[in-house]
Amino acid sequence: MTKQSSNLPESYIKRAMEQVSWQTPKAKQYRQVVVKRKKYRFTTHRPWTEQFQSQNPPGVQRAKVFVEPLLDWTFFKGDRVEVLAGLDKGKQGLVNYIVQERNWVMVEGLNCQYQFVGKKKNYPGMMMKMENPLSVTEHVALLDPSDNKPTQAEWRYTEEGERVRVSVRTGRIIPIPTLAEETPDYKSKASYAEQSKDTISDDLTQITFQPTLKTFEMDIAEKMDIKDDRVPVKTYWY
Amino acid sequence: MVGVTATLIHTRGLTTSAVALGKHNFRKFLAYGKRGTKIQKERMNKNPNLDPQVTREHDRGLRPVGLSDGKTFHIVPEMIPEIIVPDLAGFKLKPYVSYRVPDVVQSEFTPQDLFYAVYSEKIAQDFKNNKLDEDSNPIEPSEEELLTAEEAKNKVLSLGSDIYSNRR
Repeated sequence: MTKQSSNLPESYIKRAMEQVSWQTPKAKQYRQVVVKRKKYRFTTHRPWTEQFQSQNPPGVQRAKVFVEPLLDWTFFKGDRVEVLAGLDKGKQGLVNYIVQERNWVMVEGLNCQYQFVGKKKNYPGMMMKMENPLSVTEHVALLDPSDNKPTQAEWRYTEEGERVRVSVRTGRIIPIPTLAEETPDYKSKASYAEQSKDTISDDLTQITFQPTLKTFEMDIAEKMDIKDDRVPVKTYWY
Repeated sequence: MVGVTATLIHTRGLTTSAVALGKHNFRKFLAYGKRGTKIQKERMNKNPNLDPQVTREHDRGLRPVGLSDGKTFHIVPEMIPEIIVPDLAGFKLKPYVSYRVPDVVQSEFTPQDLFYAVYSEKIAQDFKNNKLDEDSNPIEPSEEELLTAEEAKNKVLSLGSDIYSNRR
């Protein structure tokens, strides 16, 4: 979900995260071997950021964080959710930020911590209010739209064949919020403002290919009026 | 006066097996120029075509602009690449694609599809009008149906294409 919400190509994220400690030279006599880091400590910072890199410095082994592997992910950005533990127990809010690698969800304005930034001798510093992550399995539950109370959600199929989230208690469908489609490039695909270098759908879906018995070079030669009748001398292998 | 002659015992090592057997492992070191004397290397530098395998390994894939007959190198003008770029005025496809575009799924265009596109209509028409003989060959063949494999290959090669060459 980090890849989806960031709109960055997978190859870039992989390249940015990569920490190669040894790679054999590209020569015939070497067996191609790459020794790179496999275990990362995932945090609220995205894997391609500098802060993530400083939290995962090369050569530093951090204690393993055990994360419950979930088969289906049921939380989206903009979901209405109730907090089940902590100081803000019983309060409802909207999901702001998701870290799927740690089963984390940040709810807007709830379960916050206060930090003083820029403390000096006479100046107490600026207080910052930051949301703390909440575990999806224990601390947070989706709301049932019919009675606005916390429930467990499951993915099921409708009669038409659509895959939807369903509240286990009542059977009511929990719709996916529109904020889930948001990325740094657009709020929703339909509202994206096309730039000068973007191909529009009309030009893209037009089929201009005409199958002819010509190679690429022959086609270009015909269009550029290049004529050549010289046939190369036949060569033989014995 | 007593003359003292100091004699030095000269010793030399002998190998009865292959050169450097087990004594030095130069396989996993990227060292170049391990073989040959200084004179040999000088000769190689002056005339690199002496050992074509070595030149092939270190040529970085540069394509020759001509042909050599032993000593002299003749530049062939047809081998000099000429980059042909069409005029892109009024070209509608742009470097990026907008997010508002629907998913376009196109199946692969195989040689069989090309055959169907070029020949199928004429074959169907000939069959309906009884213009195919006993061996199902057309009585009035079109230009494409008259084309032999050799002719087709010559047409492609006449433009100097390298589709059939090993160098690719």
